[in-house]
Amino acid sequence: MMINLIDPLKIAYNSILSNKLRSLLTTLGVIIGVAAVITLVSMGEGAKSYILGQIGSWGLGANSLAIHPGKEEVALPELTLTYGDNEALRQKVGNLQYLMPEFVGRGRLVYGHREYQPAYTLAVSADYPFAYKQQAVVGRFFSRAEEEGRRHVVVIGRTVVDKLFGAYSPVGEKIKINGVGFTIIGILEEKGTLLFYNMDDIVLIPTTLAEQVLGVTKIWEIFLTVENEKDVPQAIIDIKKTLIARHRKEDFHIHTQQGLIDIINNILNALTAIVSAIAAISLLVGGIGIMNIMLVAVTERTREIGIRKAIGAKNRDIFLQFVFESILITMTGALFGIMIGTLAAWGIMYFLKMSAAIAWGAAYLACFVALLVGLFFGVYPAMRAARLDPVEALRFEV
Amino acid sequence: MKDNVVVRITEVKRFYQMGMVAVHALGGINLKVEKSEFVSIMGPSGCGKSTLMHIIGCLDRPTSGHVHLDEVDIDKLDDNELAAIRNKKVGFVFQTFNLLPKLKAIENVELPLIYAGVGLPARRKKATELLEIVGLKDRMYHRPSELSGGQSQRVAVARALANNPSIILADEPTGNLDSKSGEEIIRLFQELNSRGITLIIVTHDQEIANHGKRIIRLKDGLVVADDRVTARSR
Repeated sequence: MMINLIDPLKIAYNSILSNKLRSLLTTLGVIIGVAAVITLVSMGEGAKSYILGQIGSWGLGANSLAIHPGKEEVALPELTLTYGDNEALRQKVGNLQYLMPEFVGRGRLVYGHREYQPAYTLAVSADYPFAYKQQAVVGRFFSRAEEEGRRHVVVIGRTVVDKLFGAYSPVGEKIKINGVGFTIIGILEEKGTLLFYNMDDIVLIPTTLAEQVLGVTKIWEIFLTVENEKDVPQAIIDIKKTLIARHRKEDFHIHTQQGLIDIINNILNALTAIVSAIAAISLLVGGIGIMNIMLVAVTERTREIGIRKAIGAKNRDIFLQFVFESILITMTGALFGIMIGTLAAWGIMYFLKMSAAIAWGAAYLACFVALLVGLFFGVYPAMRAARLDPVEALRFEV
Repeated sequence: MKDNVVVRITEVKRFYQMGMVAVHALGGINLKVEKSEFVSIMGPSGCGKSTLMHIIGCLDRPTSGHVHLDEVDIDKLDDNELAAIRNKKVGFVFQTFNLLPKLKAIENVELPLIYAGVGLPARRKKATELLEIVGLKDRMYHRPSELSGGQSQRVAVARALANNPSIILADEPTGNLDSKSGEEIIRLFQELNSRGITLIIVTHDQEIANHGKRIIRLKDGLVVADDRVTARSR
């Protein structure tokens, strides 16, 4: 015989509706728990896509590589890479797209009686605008010919413009960097902050002037891109072969951007999981609240149970009625929680000027967990109800 | 003819353990009720009327002795089978009506049909017919709180009839009603009885008992009298 589930479900549904306020209060713990988990996971997903998007907008795609000095990543490595290495790579790396060595120094800027020291004074190649996807929006960037010709031209970021010139356009003006005369030929597109660094507080000069102006002969980083993501493994082989031949040892290491993206993903996933697990504890607390209320409901409705048994309800019918009630309460709570959590995530992320991703996976999981909570905490009260002696239940006075 | 016996009670005893003392609610009852009888059970309070009623109605089991309902031996059935017997063969009517307050009249009547596995259209139809029989066609969608005592009891009677039971058991069915409503319920019972439905009612009101065909008197858990109601006393 097929067990009829529709009727006990309807009975449970009607019983919940007939006590709306209490049902809502009962399920509040589940609503809050699910909403918290959904909010946090949605925000985590949103933050992840925001950060990955930022990395992408900085030109750090999957077809890019970075060569750093030192055998492994340390805070202050001994610099081993030279301009000669850079030029060798230009010859040897297959399907090379952009090659961007970066010399890092300190620059003191003087314009008239004003002085300013930006956060970053870098000597870079003419590939900079393409490799890092940051064009000059006013004026222009320097060309490869100007770079090789050691022309004293400089491109500056918006923050530097604001500090030295205010509203006045500085293109064509002459400034001194560490006492050397330069002509400003362009202003960089604004980038804002990337991972809390102000990327607009920047001054860029040609690589060929690094030693003369910044007193730096070793390269901080060589950033390069190849035509296609598929070319990355061959590029790594070419780089290693070329540099080891020149240095006679492997005193450098290579970052692929996929590696960086993986690390960021892992960190954010772990954070989201930990915070969500804490939030999930309120689901447990909510479940205990539901069990408490269900036990009260069984006592309150002893007479109803007696009546139902007198007219032919089997123990199983009573059991299903109460279990379904508990599951319906938690599932409804989960649905409300998902809605509230998603709205909250959207609200918060809108305020933070990021976009929240809808955490479908977490939503399905929340429904499933709510089902389990309802089942787990509903079974004991339902068993108590099912086992009531009909004669005693009928005599029961509230 | 054995076929006509609806209830057969043989040497039924029922004890309750109250702490250290065993209370004898029923001390060895023998009773036979045939089809289409209208039996009143009378006796002072505490004489075991309700216990006997619960045992006949399969809500309770005897401590010893045998109960046959429609020649089925109740002792041999498990809880689920007893529930099925209560559902299909027995209709209860209680002193306090025992309707579910949150359900409409028609939904209360449908309840036994739900537990019998009858689908919605069929049970709606059946419940409507039954409410018509008890004269409450215009009150079908009212809740118990919107019905008078007499009306509530008629809903309860309709509910008791839902699965065409072999027997209707009524425990003080007029106890909570004014005399006019009580009279109406008894007349309804007489009408049902005249259609061949077997009835057992528990009452302490001689007037009510006289409307039946047979009066059984209990005292201290034993049958002390079992009389036909004569035309004169009716």
